[in-house]
Amino acid sequence: MAQSANTAAGQPRSSYIKWHQLLPWLIPALLIALWQLAVATHWIDSGLLPAPLAVVQDGIKLWQSGELPKNISISLFRATTGFVIGGLAGFVLGLANGLSHTSRLLFDSTIQMLRNIPHLSLIPLVIILLGIGEPAKISLVTIGVLFPVYINTFHGITSVDPNLIEMGQSYGLSKWQLFTKIIFPGALPTILVGVRYALGVMWTTLIVAETISSNSGIGYMASNAQEFMDMDTVLLCIVIYALLGKVSDLIAKALEDLCLDWKTKGGAANG
Amino acid sequence: MAKPLVTLSHLYKQYGDNHALQDVSFTIHQGEFVALVGMSGGGKSTLLRLIAQLEQPTAGTITYAEPNLVKRVMFQDDRLLPWMTTLANVSFAAHDAKTQARAKETLAAVGLAGFEQTYPTELSGGQKQRLALARALMAAPQLLLLDEPLGALDALTRRNMQTFITHICDTNHLTTLLITHDVDEAARMADRVIVVKNGRAVYETVGAKGQDAETIARVGESVLRVILAPAPGEEGGSRD
Repeated sequence: MAQSANTAAGQPRSSYIKWHQLLPWLIPALLIALWQLAVATHWIDSGLLPAPLAVVQDGIKLWQSGELPKNISISLFRATTGFVIGGLAGFVLGLANGLSHTSRLLFDSTIQMLRNIPHLSLIPLVIILLGIGEPAKISLVTIGVLFPVYINTFHGITSVDPNLIEMGQSYGLSKWQLFTKIIFPGALPTILVGVRYALGVMWTTLIVAETISSNSGIGYMASNAQEFMDMDTVLLCIVIYALLGKVSDLIAKALEDLCLDWKTKGGAANG
Repeated sequence: MAKPLVTLSHLYKQYGDNHALQDVSFTIHQGEFVALVGMSGGGKSTLLRLIAQLEQPTAGTITYAEPNLVKRVMFQDDRLLPWMTTLANVSFAAHDAKTQARAKETLAAVGLAGFEQTYPTELSGGQKQRLALARALMAAPQLLLLDEPLGALDALTRRNMQTFITHICDTNHLTTLLITHDVDEAARMADRVIVVKNGRAVYETVGAKGQDAETIARVGESVLRVILAPAPGEEGGSRD
């Protein structure tokens, strides 16, 4: 009896997990189905909005011709290079200003001024100074990524519980040990929020930069297709942006799960 | 008489216009369990922070038996590091090669054997305080400073922890200073009870550690009378 009760209890749980995993994909799948249906039944003019299948076929064609892999690669290169440079600069500045009062006095006011300039408004200036080559687009991504990483690193460092720092000091930790064992781990959740946000900014900035001033990349592909009213490719580029954004978010989430596994523990025992 | 470990001499501490401590002098002897008891805001925790060298006195001196006397504080809020396992929490401040083995022994001594890879958020309130105690014991302190460590626990866990801490301190011959506002706790655990009131050490009596309930109650009663007695210039009676 007990065994059958266990089986009965286990079955719905397993179904629930599968259903739970599928749930996030339900709305996108429904929207695509609706879109396909609307085009197939001529509710929507396929000249204005091609069917999803047409977009997929266009994607396969561009992939086979080598155009799509080339443009995705160059966009990925720009995005990751800009992200690494901007992220590192933001992290180092956030760290320095969070840890050193002198550094904070020296840099923070200037950074706050610069932070409030919308970085996309710098595009004309960047084009004049750097042209439409790689440095222009990478520097725009760098600027876009720098500030969210800076703010979150700075905030994370300065928000570490002072009681924990006092405890560390009273237990004889050196300054380096205080940093590695208390300050940095304490700030890490906030820093990773900044990284996750910066990944979104990275794609937005790159897409705008590539759309306005480029001769390669996904943004260029989209603006070029727009010139020829090639709606299949325009939609394909939008779908690729969405997928790249989702992949970035998954990477950020995986990083959080890896570094902050202690946050998922819990449920204190009684007594 | 055991030799003095810490001697406080005419200690004053001032925060702006607030005189937190005024002319406090007493000595803690080696192996002694001393309780400082009094109402909140009376200056007990300030005294502990000065002895722990977390703050400096405005005037007066604190003399330690050795210049590098090993002191460890167990705080009221456990101050455990949530990103570290219990084992790492105990060993995080130690540096020698035998750290891991000693950390496991210390965890076992406080009844947390088998919890080495558990995170603090998975522990109960009593277990967290045991872990905080293990962390303090890990350095083999010459002076253990307990800053109202049981304040947040329920009555039953609190009583168990009182017995447990007393046992650990006796077994390890630890010199201990306990800060508490609970007169019963002070009487039950300490060799000597000092009442701190309005920033002054106003009364001192022998504690009732290991004695019967009646003696504990008698000591507690005498301490409570001093705490509740109106200070010179105050009106008598309760306003409750």
